[in-house]
Amino acid sequence: MMQGNIWISPNTVGFAQSMTLLLRFQLQSSFGRAMFAPKDSPEHPNSNSQFRGLKIVLADDDDVNRMVTKKLLEKLGCQVTAVSSGFECLSALSSSENSSRLILLDLQMPDMDGFEVATRIRKFRSRNWPLIIALTASAEDNVWERCLHVGMNGVIRKPVLLQGIADELRRVLHLAGESL
Amino acid sequence: MDGVAKLRKQFLEYTNSLFQEEILDQQFVQLQQLQDESSPNFVFEVVSLFFEDSKRLLNELEIAITQENIDFKKVDGYVHQLKGSSSSIGAHRVRNACVAFRHHCEAQNIEGCLQCLQQVKTEYFLVKNKLETFFKMEQQLSTASQSGSK
Repeated sequence: MMQGNIWISPNTVGFAQSMTLLLRFQLQSSFGRAMFAPKDSPEHPNSNSQFRGLKIVLADDDDVNRMVTKKLLEKLGCQVTAVSSGFECLSALSSSENSSRLILLDLQMPDMDGFEVATRIRKFRSRNWPLIIALTASAEDNVWERCLHVGMNGVIRKPVLLQGIADELRRVLHLAGESL
Repeated sequence: MDGVAKLRKQFLEYTNSLFQEEILDQQFVQLQQLQDESSPNFVFEVVSLFFEDSKRLLNELEIAITQENIDFKKVDGYVHQLKGSSSSIGAHRVRNACVAFRHHCEAQNIEGCLQCLQQVKTEYFLVKNKLETFFKMEQQLSTASQSGSK
């Protein structure tokens, strides 16, 4: 009647972990477009059980971007430490209490760019801890190569979308040998 | 049509027009999807932050571009920032104006830069205006719905 949808997101042993009820009100269908057009994904991207507790450091010098990306990550269940520069990122990591699994790094920061930060991190830490994913608006072909070259594990294009972040996080974690 | 329904219809039509005219794009919808009980004013907060940052950036641009010897790298830096944040909130036309602006920065074309700054300002004030109206209408609708009118 309301052209709605119900789906259940199972956890890894198949028990219903969360239920999502989607009601299609006219208000929302007029912004329609891709809002409720899901990509081909078995799990609903908004399930916050997927990355629950994943500790992430987010480094982006832009206030607006940082706020949006942080919210996106929290929506996915991550625990986020947001910083606004390369220097802050490095000091957040060097703090002994910090056990962040993953860093999301804007490539174009004014003081120290993402490449420099990654290079410094990889100097003293293994390739898989912490994992590093670049955030970039750049459409250049060789960005991926450059990122890999300094020891990063992934790339996310800006502007960030929920599905884009979820997919890349999942891919990178999977490659590092961690199942969700 | 009763009061609330009328307001809702107007709000819908207004919002629709913003997407039709490409003043806003899909990224704005993404912001709306992020709003939830834990952050019920998320969209408003992000947009407000965007307004603050943009005001500062436009001021800096104004200063930088009226210098005797324009530092194009500096100008480009500001435009890059504005491009990023406008893109993040879905301010489609502002973002596009920034893209054009950056081309002129790269070419070190003063005239082009001056024109682009004007264009960016125009698009920015347009989206600011529209979003302020959007939030007002949203608030009106919310108030009217809550007061129990049918």
